[in-house]
Amino acid sequence: MKLEPGMAYNTKVLNKVFAFLSAIFLISVFWMLLDDYIRPWKVYQVEATKIKQERLAKVIEETEQSLDASEIKALEDEILVAEQESQKHNETIKKIEEEMHKLEGVIHAWSIKKGEANAQVSALTFKAEMSMEHKEHNADKLMQQLKDWKVKFASASDTLKKYELEQKEKKKSIVELNSKVIDLRKELDDKVGKLELLKDAKAAISFDGVSVLRNAPLLDYLDPTLRIEQVVMKNYYDDRYFQQTARVDRCTTCHQMIAKPGFEDRENPYKTHPNLELMVGENSKHPVKEFGCTNCHGGEGHRVHDFQSIAHTPQNSKQAAEWREKYNWHEPHKVPAPMFRLQHTEAACLKCHQGVERIPMADKLNEGRHLLEENGCYSCHKIEGWEHLKKPGPSLYRLAGKVDKEFFKNWVWNPKQFNPKTKMPSFFNQSNNSTPEFKAKNIAEVNALTDFIYSLSEEYTPNEKFTVGNAETGKELVSKIGCLGCHQIDGLDENYNVAQNKRGPYLKGLGSKVSAHWMKSWLKNPTHYDPTTIMPSFRLTDSEASDITAFLMDSKQERFQNLKFAPLDGDIRDELLVESFAAFDTLAHAREKVEAMSQVERTLELGRITLGKYGCYSCHSIKGFEDSPQIGPELTNIGSKPIEQFGWGHQHLAHERDVWIRAHLENPRRWDEGTTKPFKDLSKMPYFDLTKNEIESMVLALLGQVSDYVPLEGMKRLSADEKLAEKGSRVVREKNCFGCHKIDGEGGEILANYQDDLNAGPPFLVQQGTRTKARWLYDFLDNVVPIRSFVEIRMPSFHLTNEERNLVVSYFQHKAEEISFDDERELYTWNPGERQAAIKLFKNLECATCHSHGITSDTPMGPDLRLAGNRLKATWIKRWIGNPISILPHTTMPSFWDGGESPEPEILGGDSEKQMWALTKYVLEMTKNPSVAAELRK
Amino acid sequence: MRELINKLSDPIFSFPGAMLLYLALLRYYRIFGSKKFAKIALVVILGLVAYFFADPNFFLIITTPDNIPISILFVLVSFFTWLTFHKAAENDKRIEQGLCPIEGTPENREKVWTWPNLVYTELFTIIAGTTFLIVWAILFKAPLEEPANPTWAPNPAKAPWYFLGLQEMLVYFDPWMAGVILPGLIVVGLLAIPFMDTNPKGNGYYTFQERKVAISFFLFGWLVLWLYLILIGTFLRGPNWVFFGPFEYWDLHKVVAENNVNLSEYFWIKGLGVSMPKNILLREIIGIIVTALYFVVGLPVVTKLWGKAFLKSMGQIRYYIFMFLVFSMVSLPIKMFLRWLFQLKYIIAMPEFELNL
Repeated sequence: MKLEPGMAYNTKVLNKVFAFLSAIFLISVFWMLLDDYIRPWKVYQVEATKIKQERLAKVIEETEQSLDASEIKALEDEILVAEQESQKHNETIKKIEEEMHKLEGVIHAWSIKKGEANAQVSALTFKAEMSMEHKEHNADKLMQQLKDWKVKFASASDTLKKYELEQKEKKKSIVELNSKVIDLRKELDDKVGKLELLKDAKAAISFDGVSVLRNAPLLDYLDPTLRIEQVVMKNYYDDRYFQQTARVDRCTTCHQMIAKPGFEDRENPYKTHPNLELMVGENSKHPVKEFGCTNCHGGEGHRVHDFQSIAHTPQNSKQAAEWREKYNWHEPHKVPAPMFRLQHTEAACLKCHQGVERIPMADKLNEGRHLLEENGCYSCHKIEGWEHLKKPGPSLYRLAGKVDKEFFKNWVWNPKQFNPKTKMPSFFNQSNNSTPEFKAKNIAEVNALTDFIYSLSEEYTPNEKFTVGNAETGKELVSKIGCLGCHQIDGLDENYNVAQNKRGPYLKGLGSKVSAHWMKSWLKNPTHYDPTTIMPSFRLTDSEASDITAFLMDSKQERFQNLKFAPLDGDIRDELLVESFAAFDTLAHAREKVEAMSQVERTLELGRITLGKYGCYSCHSIKGFEDSPQIGPELTNIGSKPIEQFGWGHQHLAHERDVWIRAHLENPRRWDEGTTKPFKDLSKMPYFDLTKNEIESMVLALLGQVSDYVPLEGMKRLSADEKLAEKGSRVVREKNCFGCHKIDGEGGEILANYQDDLNAGPPFLVQQGTRTKARWLYDFLDNVVPIRSFVEIRMPSFHLTNEERNLVVSYFQHKAEEISFDDERELYTWNPGERQAAIKLFKNLECATCHSHGITSDTPMGPDLRLAGNRLKATWIKRWIGNPISILPHTTMPSFWDGGESPEPEILGGDSEKQMWALTKYVLEMTKNPSVAAELRK
Repeated sequence: MRELINKLSDPIFSFPGAMLLYLALLRYYRIFGSKKFAKIALVVILGLVAYFFADPNFFLIITTPDNIPISILFVLVSFFTWLTFHKAAENDKRIEQGLCPIEGTPENREKVWTWPNLVYTELFTIIAGTTFLIVWAILFKAPLEEPANPTWAPNPAKAPWYFLGLQEMLVYFDPWMAGVILPGLIVVGLLAIPFMDTNPKGNGYYTFQERKVAISFFLFGWLVLWLYLILIGTFLRGPNWVFFGPFEYWDLHKVVAENNVNLSEYFWIKGLGVSMPKNILLREIIGIIVTALYFVVGLPVVTKLWGKAFLKSMGQIRYYIFMFLVFSMVSLPIKMFLRWLFQLKYIIAMPEFELNL
C-alpha cells in the first residue's frame, strides 16, 4: 500500500491500533476495579446480613402475634374520640399559642441583651483589674463602668428568667388541655414501641436502592454498609521487632454473630462463640471489643482478604481436607504465628495468666503444666517461673546406705523393668543407642557412673532394727492410714488402688531393693535418711512400722534381683576417656593422660564425665553438683521458636510446632534416625513412656510458652489476697495436700477409695480460711493432734519450716479472703437466760449422741467439742450448726434449722439466729473450760 | 538426565559453558542471526521449557512471583540479541558486497513526520505498558512475607532481582570489591563509553564487523557477567546461598564442601612450610606482585600482541583507560576460575585494613 509522503505508517491502521489498545486498556481498568471490589469477605457479610434479617423478621412476627389486635384497635379509637374532644379547646389553644409566639420574640431580645452585658462585664473585669494593678489614672472610671454593666447584666438576666417562667406556664396549660390524647398516645407507644424499633432495625440492614448505592463500586468509600470491622487492642501488641504496635483484629468482618447469642446452631462463620459468659460476650471477662480474637486463637487477625490469609489452622487432617475442598486452603507460609489448632486454644491463656499455679477453667492447660512438673521437665530445661521448684528425683546424698551397686546399675540401665510405673525415664536401650557398639559403651558408662556416684555418697546407717512384723496387719495399715494419698502400692486389694495418686513412687518390689532396717527407719522417720524429703511421718508405733515393713518387704522382683550387670570393660572405658579428653587435646596427649591415671581414677573420671553428660544432677541432688547448669535447652519461649530452628532430622513430618513437640515427646531419640552421629553426639533426652493423652496435654502447655509482648494492662494482675494465696499454694501442692483433701472442690484423689462412706475419708476443706483459726492451723501443722478419733486415716506430720507453715495458713486465709483473727470477745459473755437455753437445746437436739467426749461413755462419732472453740471460728461454728448440709452434702451432722425454721419453738422465743448463737457460745465455753461438759451428764 | 543437568548447571561447568557459547555466538553470528536458526532455536527452547516445567522443584522456583520479571528479562534479551545479530549479519553481508547498509538505502533515508509517526506510536507503548502492568498486578499479588526480624533473617536472603548479579559476585570477592569498587567501575565505565569510543562506524545502522571489539567486550560484560550471574543468583542459589540445580529441592540442610585458602597461605604455609610473616606487606607480597604483574606486565603484553592499532587510533589516554576497565572486568572471571580450580580465597588478603582482593 502506498504511504502518504512524510508518513512511515498508514494513519488509518494507526487509528485502529489506538482504538484496540484503548479498548484493552479500558477493560483492564474495569478488571482492576472489579478485582479490587469483589472481596471474599463481602460474600460472608451479605450472607450474615440475610441471616440477621431472617432473625429480625421472626422476632417481629412473634412480637406482632403477642400483641392483642383488638386492644390496640380500641386504644386507637379512644385516641380518635379524645382528639375530637380536645378540639373544643381549639380556640383557647390557638390564643395561647399566639401569645407564646410573641413571648418568644421578647425572650430572644432579652437573651441578646443579656449576652451583650455578659461580654462587657467579662472584658471590663479584665481591663479594670489590670488598670488597678498598674495604678493607671483611668482605673476608677473603669471600675464605675464595670459596676454599671454588672447592674445591667443582673437586670437583664432577671427579666429573662421572668419571661421564661411565663413561657413554661403557657406550655403547661396547652399540655393540660391535651392531656388525655397525650396519655393515650403514650400508652399505645408502650405497646407497639418495641415493634417499631425492631422494624426500624430491620429497615436499617435491608437491601434496598440506598444500600446498593452505598455499596456501589467507586462510591463505597463514602459510607458503605458492607465494611471491614475491626478491634484495636490496647492490651496486646504485635511485635514488629523494631517496635510494638497495638494489635488489630478484623475477624468480626466475617464472624459477624460471634458475640451475639442465638446463633449457636449456625455454621461458621455465622456462629455464636461458645461460652459467651467467659469469652467474647459483652459482659464476660474477655469481651471481644477489648481482647479481640487472635489474642487467644493466634493467627493474622489484621489480614482479612480471604480464608487463607488469616492463617486459619485446621484441627486435624480431616478438617484440612475439608478446607482444601471448600476454601482452597493450604498450609500458611511465611506466617510467624499461625492460629492455634482449636484443641490447643487454651495454650494462649498462659501468656497473660502468669505466676499462678492453676488458671481457672483452663483444665487442659493446667493438666499439661501439672504433667510438665510431675515429669520434671523443668529440672533439665529452664522454664521461667519454675526455677525454684524442688528437684523431682530423690536425693542421692546417702545412696550407698539405701541400695547396693548391683541394683543401682540394673535400675539405671532399665528402670521400667523393675517398676513399670516409675517416673524415672529410660536413657539406654533406645532407638539411637541400641547397636552392640553403643550398648557396650553405655554399659561402661553405667559401671563408671555407679562407682562415681557411690564414691560421692555419704555413709548412712538406719536408726531402726527390723526383727519381725505381721505382713497382714501391715497391708491393712497401708490401705487405711493414708499412704495411698501419695502412693500406689503393689499387692493391695483392688478396691484400695482406685485412687491413682502419683506424687510418691509406685511401691513395688521393695524387698528386692532396700533392706528391712532401712525401710523401717524410713517409715518411722523419713527425714533421718533424707532431710529434704516431702515424705511425712505417720507417727507410727514401733509395731506398726514393723508390720508395714514386713508387708512392703514381701513384695519382691525375683527376676530383676537375679540380673547380673555386665562388668566394666577397661578398654572401652579408656577409649571413652580418650575420646572425651581429645575434645580439647591431641589424641596422643589424651592417651598419655589416661595412661597416667590409676584404674580407679579412670573409672571415677569416666563416671564424672557420664554424670555431666546425662545430667543426672538435674533431677537428683548429688554432692558437688548442686550448682551445675541445667542440661537441656530452655523452653520458656518454645511456643514462639521459629519453625526453621527446630531440627527435623530425617523424619518426614509436617513442619509445624505442635507436630515437632509431639514427635519429640513420643520418642526423643527419633531425630538421630538415619544420621551418622558418633557416640558422643547422640541425643540424650531420655524416654518418658507417656500416654497419648499425657503427650497431648504437654504439647498444649508447651505451645503456650510464647514470647509475645503483653503490656502490663493486658496481664492478669492478682489482688493482694490472690497473691498471698498463690505463694502458699506452692507449698500446698508440693506437699500434696490435694492427694487426700478435696480443697474447695479440687483434688482429694484418695477419696476414690472412700466412695461408700466419704465421712471415713480425709475431711473436705471447704472455705478452710473461714473455718479454722489461723493460730490453730499453724500449731496443727507443727504438731498434729487427731480430731476425729472415729476415722482411721491419719493426718501425717509434715516436716515444715516456719515459713512453709505460715504460707499454708495464709494460703487458706487469703483464698477465702479472711482476716487473720476474728474478734470473739463478746461471745464469752452470756445474755440473761441464754446459757440455760443453750443447755436445753444441747439436750433436746441430742448433740451428745455423736459428740460424746466427756459427756457419756459412748464411742464418739463426731469431733470433740471441747477442742472446737480453739480450732474453729465462731462464725463458722454458727454457720455449720445452722446448715451443715449446705457446706458438706455428705455430712452425718443433721441440719436442725433446715430452711431457717427452728426445731425448738419454745426456746428463746423460737428465734433461730439466737438459738444458733447460744449453742455456739456454749461450744466456746466448753473449750475454755472442758469441765462444763460434766453438767450435761445429768 | 536431570542429575546431569543439575550438575552441569553448577557455575564451575556452566560459567565456562556460557563463555564458550558466547565465543561461538561471536564467531558464528551469521548463523545465529539467521531466521532459520531462530525458528529451530524457538522449537528447541519451547521443548526444553516444557521439559523443565514438568519438574515440580523447577516449577516452584520459576513461578515465584518475584522471579517472573527475570523470566521476562531473559525472553526479551534473547529476542533483541538475536535481532541485533540478525540485522548486523544482513548489513555486514551487504557491506562485504560493497552495498550500503539497509538503513542507508534511499527509501530508508527518507524523513517522516514526528507526529504521528513517533508521538502516536509512543502513546501506544505507554498504553500497552500500563495495561501490561495492571494485568500483571492483578494476576500476581505482591508476595507478602513475615515482618522483618533483625534476629532472624529469611534464608536465602536475596537482593532485588537486578542486584542478584552483584550478590553472586560476593561469592568470589570481598564485599568492598563486589559491593563498592566493581559496581563503581561499571558505572564509571558505562559513563566513559561515549568519550572513549571514537569509531564513527555503525552510527545509525546495525553492524558487527565494523565494531567487533566494542560489541564483543560490551556484550561479554552484559550477557555473561551480568545476566548470567543474575540467572544463577535467582534460580540456582538456595538457602545459605548454596548452589542448587534447577531440579533440586531447596533443602535447608544441604552443605557444600568449601574450604577456601588465601594465596599467601598457599605460598607460605603450603609451599614453603613456614609460618606467615608478621609484616602484612611481606605476608601478602606474592599477591601484590601478581596483581601488579597483571596490570604492569599484562597491559604492555596485550598491547603488543593485539592493541597496537587501537593505541594508535584511540590515543594513549583513551586506550589505557579502556584497557584498565577491560582488565578490571576480566578479573571477575579470572577470580572465578581461580576459586574453582584452586579454592583460592583472596589473592591479597589484608582483613586488617578490610582490603581483600
